[in-house]
Amino acid sequence: MKRRDEILNAIRAEPGITFRGLVRKLGLGIGDLQYQLRKLEEEGEVFSRRMGRRRYLFPRDFEEEAQRLLIAISTDTRRKILLKLIEGPTDQKGLSEALGVSQPTVSYHMNELMKLGIVEAERRGRNVVYRLTCDPETLVRMIREYRPGLLEKLADGLIDLLAGVGGEEDD
Amino acid sequence: MIEMLLAVVTLILSLLLAGISYVAYKKSHLRPALYLLIAFLLFALKKTIDALTMAQWIKRDVGGITAALEMLVLFLLLLSFWKR
Repeated sequence: MKRRDEILNAIRAEPGITFRGLVRKLGLGIGDLQYQLRKLEEEGEVFSRRMGRRRYLFPRDFEEEAQRLLIAISTDTRRKILLKLIEGPTDQKGLSEALGVSQPTVSYHMNELMKLGIVEAERRGRNVVYRLTCDPETLVRMIREYRPGLLEKLADGLIDLLAGVGGEEDD
Repeated sequence: MIEMLLAVVTLILSLLLAGISYVAYKKSHLRPALYLLIAFLLFALKKTIDALTMAQWIKRDVGGITAALEMLVLFLLLLSFWKR
């Protein structure tokens, strides 16, 4: 029971920690950790979501936030945009130049991130500046651990290509 | 034999492209990704019909069907690059 509390506290302290991250942090055996996590999931204390090739773990009161964050980091360009915004508020042109992608592509991803409530726009004079509205630490932890598969990497390239030629979101 | 081999490789590539389009659509809900997915699936269907005809498993004339599929594929590609 003490070990289970230790795992629960680690997940509460670092929402979005991966299974591997938890193994590293707590120094537990994989089999033991799998068993304790299964118990915690059955009790409804924690839940996990698989994304890319990693399994992310969250405390129970993190359901909505977890969903938004996982969608937000699901493409390569969005992850780069978010990492850039962690450094400080930036406008669309700055993001486009820093990441080497077209402005329509950045615009598409910014709209998606704003809809998710991860980013907000603020007018400063003639410019619109974007800034993060979520916890940067959680975001960095999740992005650092993200490992997309080959098909996903190719799909990310296709999304940027289609967004760049004027792709529009389909509700 | 070479023709059949090329047809199989082309079929595999079109299914791979359909898979990439599917993942892109699932992630982004961009309509052009859906058009591409359908286009690559139709292309794979056309290639399968071609290969079956080549192997003489299909005896009847399928020229009309494959021509219609070709036209549909090109139309969907055009739609996916349409600037909105």
